Amino acid sequence: MKKLSVGLTFAAAVVLAGQALAFEPTRPVEFVVASGPGGGTDNFARTIQSIIAKHKLMEKSMVVLNKGGGSGAEAFLYARKNEGDPNKLYFGTNNAYLLPHVAKLAYSMEDLRPVAALAFDEFLIWVKGDSEYATPTDLIEAAKAAPNKLSFAGSQSKDTDETLVALIEQTTGTNFKYLPFNGGGEVGVQLAGGHVAANVNNPNENVGQWQAGAIKPLCVFSDKPMAKSDPVHDGKGWGDIPTCASSGVNIPSYKMPRTVWTAAGTPDDAVAYYSDVLKRVSETPEWADYIRKTSQTGDFMSGQKLQDFIVTSEKNAVGVFEAEGWLVK
Amino acid sequence: MRIKRLHVEIVTAITLAAVGALGATGALELGVSWSESGPMPGYFPFYVGIILIVAAFASAAQAIFRLKMGSEEMRETFLEPEQTRRVLSFLLPMIVFVIVTVFLGTYIGTALYLFYVAWRNGGYKPWIAILIGVVFSIALYFVFEKAFQVPLHKGPIEEMLGIY
Amino acid sequence: MENFELLMGGFATALTPMHITLMIVGVLLGLIVGVLPGLGAPNGVSLLIPLTFTMDPVSAIILLASMYWGALFGGSTTSILFNIPGEPSSVATTFDGYPMARSGQSTRALTLAFMSAGIGAFVGIVVITLLSTWAARFALRFGAAEYFAVYFLAFCAFVGMGSASPIKTAVSLSLGLLLSTVGMDTVTGSLRLTFGIEALLSGVSFLVVVIGLFGIGELLATVQDGLKFRGVASRIDPRDVFKTMLELPKYFTTIVRSSAVGIWMGITPGGPTAASFMSYGLARQWSKPGEKFGTGRPEGIVAPETADHSAGTCAMLPMLALGVPSSATAAVMMGGLMIWGLTPGPMLFTTQPDFVWGLIASMYISNFVGVILVLLTVPFFAALLRIPFSIIGPMIVAICFVGAYTVANSTSDLWLVLIFGVVGFVFNKLEFPLAPLVLAMVLGSKAESSFHQSMIASDGSLGIFFSNYLVGSIMTVALALLIIPQSLKFIKYLRSHKNVDAAA
Repeated sequence: MKKLSVGLTFAAAVVLAGQALAFEPTRPVEFVVASGPGGGTDNFARTIQSIIAKHKLMEKSMVVLNKGGGSGAEAFLYARKNEGDPNKLYFGTNNAYLLPHVAKLAYSMEDLRPVAALAFDEFLIWVKGDSEYATPTDLIEAAKAAPNKLSFAGSQSKDTDETLVALIEQTTGTNFKYLPFNGGGEVGVQLAGGHVAANVNNPNENVGQWQAGAIKPLCVFSDKPMAKSDPVHDGKGWGDIPTCASSGVNIPSYKMPRTVWTAAGTPDDAVAYYSDVLKRVSETPEWADYIRKTSQTGDFMSGQKLQDFIVTSEKNAVGVFEAEGWLVK
Repeated sequence: MRIKRLHVEIVTAITLAAVGALGATGALELGVSWSESGPMPGYFPFYVGIILIVAAFASAAQAIFRLKMGSEEMRETFLEPEQTRRVLSFLLPMIVFVIVTVFLGTYIGTALYLFYVAWRNGGYKPWIAILIGVVFSIALYFVFEKAFQVPLHKGPIEEMLGIY
Repeated sequence: MENFELLMGGFATALTPMHITLMIVGVLLGLIVGVLPGLGAPNGVSLLIPLTFTMDPVSAIILLASMYWGALFGGSTTSILFNIPGEPSSVATTFDGYPMARSGQSTRALTLAFMSAGIGAFVGIVVITLLSTWAARFALRFGAAEYFAVYFLAFCAFVGMGSASPIKTAVSLSLGLLLSTVGMDTVTGSLRLTFGIEALLSGVSFLVVVIGLFGIGELLATVQDGLKFRGVASRIDPRDVFKTMLELPKYFTTIVRSSAVGIWMGITPGGPTAASFMSYGLARQWSKPGEKFGTGRPEGIVAPETADHSAGTCAMLPMLALGVPSSATAAVMMGGLMIWGLTPGPMLFTTQPDFVWGLIASMYISNFVGVILVLLTVPFFAALLRIPFSIIGPMIVAICFVGAYTVANSTSDLWLVLIFGVVGFVFNKLEFPLAPLVLAMVLGSKAESSFHQSMIASDGSLGIFFSNYLVGSIMTVALALLIIPQSLKFIKYLRSHKNVDAAA
């Protein structure tokens, strides 16, 4: 009897595995992007679209839909409306699971299923090129001497940038002003023009201004320095930037994942199918090229590893939100 | 009863004031005062809503004042019966078009709408009218879905035919 | 002169058969997306981006930029013929372009628009060629307060002297401002006035409102006087195109002023839409007396078109040199730039001279190509108006609704178009001006956020708007534009009363 049941289980497993490979999209796959055209998430989705098309990783064609309303909430509300639809993928960042904590929205994490994370965008502290601050400690000391006077510019409100600034304040016991702008480019120019003291832009949002020496990086929020690169300005490249933890701001790591989701209720085999396609995308030379050009860190995550990452990342962020009083009930 | 311009002026003003009131009350729950870091999120919508209410009532008052001053304009009929008929013969199919589109999708809605207007208002023979509607719908499909990959709203019939 | 040599190098890059073909293809595709209200330059450009991955960056940007110019030209066509702006920046062209076409001079209106657009673009490119380095540095001086001052200036220039009743202007303006606050507020990150309705999360789209107010509203106004277009059935004569061209020198001052406005708004970057409104407002205030604006006055077409295109071309500069896109299309192109491995920023001009100057040279050529192509299409488009109304009318309605749907892929926008169509019709009959409403929707939320940012930066002190020469002088000019015309009117009024008294 026992033998038989083992045999049955085995057979069932084989059937399941067979099914897992059997899923194919039945119609053109919608890539729903949680940002407007031209944003970082948009580039992320369109790069994946072009790689899949070039290497013919999927039978069906793909259509990109931008739903960037409400800082991207529009895309995830659309997921809620299309529960169980296996022909739609949702592209976002950590906004997918953080937005419902800071704004009253009609969706929650229950409405989404994570498929994969493909890259991590780094955060750095930047100051003006001719600034007197040479290390993060200089900036922190200056802020302690004049609380609520120095300002950080960032993209959007209560989003990744402001969360990081709040985290810096909580860790170092300082108080900065935070000025929200519309996008990373604008934020970079505000710093280069000397209208703010610092910003926490991602590498590719600021690299142009750094090349010109208009601004300079102080440290990167990562547990290890970034990958070596060609010198960007004054003989220094991305790999030469010290980590923030090693230079006086004790935040070991702060990164923004670039994530792909499906709606809740999507069958397991469909999730497995997409995660496999994305895995293969992450192994192409074009993907490596995209990662290098945008100075992100490539790291493919799916399944349990991704689940664990999301739980930790959400817990950390919610801690910051709570201390700042941003949580909505 | 003839609807005079004055009546429409007043109804419009009341509607606009109601919109203003809706905006202002919606803003109330966001906080409408001036905090130390500048205006709170409800500040602008609240005051703009108030200005809208005031301006709307002022425009109604102006209309009544002009009537009292003997302005002929305010006594004019807003729409002559013939004009009303024309506007409705255009507007009603359009409303039906929107309803059909929402439920049956853009292509069916457009084809039916063009057919109806060409047939009833344009006086074309039914088969020509049908042709106009169908050809235009198909042209829309090719320009938007095929050439520019912009998906339009689709309904159950496209689903049945397997057009995505 | 160094720039001149670089430009010559750029021409060598741009003037290859392959690149000229790309320009023609780009302009033609752009014309198509520009003419259809449902498609815009951002759609077209983002669709082409995956195709450009295999091209070298110069060819890619030439294709995309040419498409953008084509869309800008195409957008004016439907504004003039059907009162439906194909692109946001061509809203101001409807004010006088449509009345002129309706009075039977559609060829003249289209030619005026295209020629002044071409001239505006040309002036804009010359400025980019000569002043690129200086302009990029100048734009860096714009912080939140300066941004607010620029938006405020655009408001004042436009609203300062309207012919409509001040009370009705106030109604229209505040309704527009109120609509612009719906949705997510960038500065505080809170959702406003959505009343729990999901469709309002991304705000009330300005394009949807414009399609309803202008497109559907105008069709309703048309049918009340009978089911045909009002008086557009005129003969189409290619010679009219040349006659209109000879007319252009008469509008020299308007063209110069509008180009200046466009360049200023393109660099600062207020964007082409704000530029066209501001330029129209200034033309209305400063043109020689004549027919009223809004009744088909030539300056009312020349001014917004010139400014729109000079701003459109100049807006390439902040995108390339600073990485700040001033329009949705520029944002998409910038995304492309990054995917091709180029970094927008001050160093792009030094590290990638071939790319930058190839693009600038191509702008001269493709705008020239654009004017010629678009002039060739004038008789064709003007002939559209001869199709019986009972066919073309519903087709326009269908395209309007399709266009509104594609803005956000949402069927609730269809209802909005219907509502704003009726609003447009009623407002027109009751003489509420529509332009302030549209302007408020375009600039309202931008002005509000930059105001709020300035307040955070200055700890709530309004003094920040006069804290340096730059922001102080912009604010002063803006206030002057608001106050002077009104006081002049008032003085005139007093004088005429005095004369009456003296006579009595």
